[in-house]
Amino acid sequence: MPQPLPAKEATLFRSLVKYYEGKLYKKGLKAAEQILKKHPNHGDTEAMKALILNSLNQGDEAFALCKEALRHDMKSHVCWHVYGLLWRSVKNYPEAIKSYKMALRLEPTSLSILRDLALLQCQVRDYEGYIESRRKMMQDRPQLRQNWTALAVAYHLAGNLAEAENVLNTYEETLKQPPPKSDLEHSEATLYKNTIIAESGDLVRALEHLDGIINNSLDRSAALELKGQYLLQLGRNDQATALYRVLLDRNSEYRAYFDGLEKALGLDRSNTADIEKLTKLYQAHASNNKRNDASRRIPLDFLTGEAFKTAADDYLRRMLNKGVPSTFPNIKSLYQDPEKKAVIEELVLGYVSDKQTNGSAEGESNSQVALLNSDRFEQSVLYFLAQHYNYVQSRDLAKAMDYIDRLLEMDPKSVDYNQTKARILKHAGDIQKASETMNHARELDVRDRYINTKCAKYQLRNNENENALETMSKFTRNEAVGGPLGDLHDMQCMWYLLEDGEAFLRQQKYGLALKRFTTIADIFEIWYEDQFDFHSFSLRKGQIRAYIDMVRWEDHLRDHPFYTRAATQAIDLYLQLADNPQLSSADQTGLDKLDPTERKKAEKKAKKEREKAEKAEADRKAAAAAKATAKGDDGETKKEDPDPNGEQLLQTKEPLEVALKFLRPMLELSPLIIEAQNAGFEVYIRRNKHLLALKCLLSARDIDPENPKLHEQSVRFRQAVTKPSEPLSSQASQVIQESFTAPSADADLEAYNNDFLKKHAQSASHLQSGYNVRYILDNSSKAQNEEDLQKTLDLSDITIQEAQAGLALLDQWKSEQKAKDDYRAKAAGRWSQATVFKN
Amino acid sequence: MDIRVLRPSDIPHVQLANITNLPENYFCKYYLYHAMSWPQLSYVAVDVSRPPKTPYDPPKIVGYVLAKMEEDPSDGVQHGHITSLSVMRTHRRLGLAEKLMRQSQRAMAETFNAHYVSLHVRMSNLAALHLYRETLGFTVEKVESKYYADGEDAYSMRIELADLKEQLLDEQEAYEDEGEAVGDEGTEEERKEREEKREKRKAERKMRVRVGRNKGVMDLVEKNEVAAA
Repeated sequence: MPQPLPAKEATLFRSLVKYYEGKLYKKGLKAAEQILKKHPNHGDTEAMKALILNSLNQGDEAFALCKEALRHDMKSHVCWHVYGLLWRSVKNYPEAIKSYKMALRLEPTSLSILRDLALLQCQVRDYEGYIESRRKMMQDRPQLRQNWTALAVAYHLAGNLAEAENVLNTYEETLKQPPPKSDLEHSEATLYKNTIIAESGDLVRALEHLDGIINNSLDRSAALELKGQYLLQLGRNDQATALYRVLLDRNSEYRAYFDGLEKALGLDRSNTADIEKLTKLYQAHASNNKRNDASRRIPLDFLTGEAFKTAADDYLRRMLNKGVPSTFPNIKSLYQDPEKKAVIEELVLGYVSDKQTNGSAEGESNSQVALLNSDRFEQSVLYFLAQHYNYVQSRDLAKAMDYIDRLLEMDPKSVDYNQTKARILKHAGDIQKASETMNHARELDVRDRYINTKCAKYQLRNNENENALETMSKFTRNEAVGGPLGDLHDMQCMWYLLEDGEAFLRQQKYGLALKRFTTIADIFEIWYEDQFDFHSFSLRKGQIRAYIDMVRWEDHLRDHPFYTRAATQAIDLYLQLADNPQLSSADQTGLDKLDPTERKKAEKKAKKEREKAEKAEADRKAAAAAKATAKGDDGETKKEDPDPNGEQLLQTKEPLEVALKFLRPMLELSPLIIEAQNAGFEVYIRRNKHLLALKCLLSARDIDPENPKLHEQSVRFRQAVTKPSEPLSSQASQVIQESFTAPSADADLEAYNNDFLKKHAQSASHLQSGYNVRYILDNSSKAQNEEDLQKTLDLSDITIQEAQAGLALLDQWKSEQKAKDDYRAKAAGRWSQATVFKN
Repeated sequence: MDIRVLRPSDIPHVQLANITNLPENYFCKYYLYHAMSWPQLSYVAVDVSRPPKTPYDPPKIVGYVLAKMEEDPSDGVQHGHITSLSVMRTHRRLGLAEKLMRQSQRAMAETFNAHYVSLHVRMSNLAALHLYRETLGFTVEKVESKYYADGEDAYSMRIELADLKEQLLDEQEAYEDEGEAVGDEGTEEERKEREEKREKRKAERKMRVRVGRNKGVMDLVEKNEVAAA
């Protein structure tokens, strides 16, 4: 029960609420002060003041004041509601929900509390609670369609399709006459209902229902697509054929429509008898539509032999004559078939020699075209070949360089050619020159952000963090808080933050690397948070299908490769920190080489310096706290980052706990990524969670039983359970005994490892793993391992990346400098251009 | 290269394409705002020929058009607006920008009854100007001085959708007639009912077209709004 106020103050309180809602915070504070002067213990006023303080970025004061308010007035729903809002603003949703529920108990009829509660329940996917809240809201205002839709959405998300449909039907039955066709909310609601019926699996009924609404559906594309899917699945092929033709008339660059048409016509690409019909089908489409790409490109996927050669010839000539720069990227997926790769190479090489012998492409009619466009054609052909020989499946970098140099002679100022040259250099391992060349390409068109982006990326690959930021700053909003980097944060420029972090990692600037990887995780957090407003917004807009799509996407947001890339590297760093806490002192690399007494001295000195730096940092922070926010030149304020260089991240006392935070979303959402399972094993084994570690091992085995990392981990796991540091529970022992069989409990691990080495004698990464296991089993094998590791550099298929991984292994074994130098020298002999092996 | 409507899960890569190519950038929520308000209007060009690397590969977006309806049109006329359009440098000359624009324009007319589409373009961006003016038929409405953050002026351009809308009506009617011809005939009563509906629809359409032609777009809108109210 709120404490009553005299009339004058009661009026003031009402305006206080209005000021808050209108964001007139100064006036609000003034009103609050006025009331509190006379009624210092008035809980509701304190709570409102707290809410305003929170909006003014004074969160700590706000919480303190709100607790005070609750002390003065435990029974006020206002105080509890505000408490909930404060918790929500710091994203502690469970606490916020608790507070809202308290408030609601005190004031069961408050719609605003109910609404706030409902939105949070949806955000945390408490669908049972959401259904309850939405039902109450609907009962309070049944005349509003969106309240019914919201209840249906709640049931739908909770998986109760029948009840979701039922709710929508109940509302529809109250409509005295059908809404006009222009009623978008109605059109969307009926299509939404249709998707619910289809999800329930009753396609006959879904189709029937769709037929009843399709002519009034304003989203025609979606309605037609749904109908096509139903018809196909119901086997009504004649109707499906007609329908997919309609869809293709609307958009003939969408493979899903062509697939639908093929199915409807009963055509099967794997059936040779159907190939001719398929060919005719696509030819018909191509001849009707001069500018269509799909109908010309798709047949290359299913044609073979002579037919493929003819079609590929037509396609390539057409594209190369037009000078389409993406011709190569557009066909390179065909290279998975070695025969097709060979045909394409032969064809395009033929275009060059045709050109050289008689100045034209083959054939009379083509020769005219080729003559007219001969320059463009020739350059397109050479450009295609440069990309062809630069591509991993058909790589011959010397040839690629030769073609690109010829092109650069013809057109030295071409951004594309210079860019491709940089890519070729990158593949040769010369990341230094690649970066320079890309910068040259950038300078040829400084107003093009695409080439600017590529340039920054290549600079980062070459560990030029500062240059890269300078490059990026030519297109960022530099007046933002934090300058160019601040803008890249605001604009969630993931690729940059990732590459920046990886470059810092290579330079052993671990704090900054962690900082960037953490930022990636933070952006995913923001992306998840972003959906919050749409729980209400989308109901107002009535675009329910899109909203459902969004919720489902948000549920697996972190299966994105950006997350996996940042998380696996962050976990790796935290594991290193857990194994070697000294890593957190900055000059770790130098320490390794010192003798013990010098080392102690150096460590002492480093510690002193660190303390000094920490104190300076603390002073700076205190000063920063005084203003608490930073203001950019654009007038926007942002909370000051207290740890811009990631030093605090690096000093963590609980590296494994932090690693877990990165790990969990990966194991939940991307369990089929083997690196995630590898990382999971490493985290869990260090936490002595044997069963969880085993689970990761078994999952990895399901993905790739021959994975090199898995081999090493399996041997280590066998060692760990044979001599556990703490005794295993009998239950755990039993599970392990039953499901962990490779290597078996009585296996001779050395022999087991030798079998692995023999089996994979031609694969560098497997051999590296085997040598590492040999080292783990017996440290005295080091010299042998170093020698064998060097031999892997002679393998025909070894890549630069694998050779680099070998170098890292030498670090791990703490090999002598000479062993490293020898390895490096040999690698440099094989990859003469590679920057990483130069010393 | 597929051309298809944008899905929420495309957003990270649309954002990536945008910040790779253009100086005007947006955070995720702004894309979501488009996708949740007018999910029919934004389209993406997707490279579907790349062999997948993982089971979680995001779509490789090589071009996109981010579009909206003007929320509070100052002239009172329902119209669409192109927020951002871009195609990767590596995928130019495939006609992707035009194909993206045409799909978006159609959806604006079809779903939101847009009467025209507006957009801004940098005066120095000749390639884009060519696309809008020559290929798509936009006209320059006016020059907006210092429209861009770096001080460059913009052309404000637009295209009327009246012709497109008529074409869409023709298409839909053809579809409906055909659909009914091949569909189940049903009872005599249902058949009659359909017949009547069709007549009514044709009458409505004729009326609408006449009003539109005689009185101009503005009157048409007011009429429709009254009818809808």
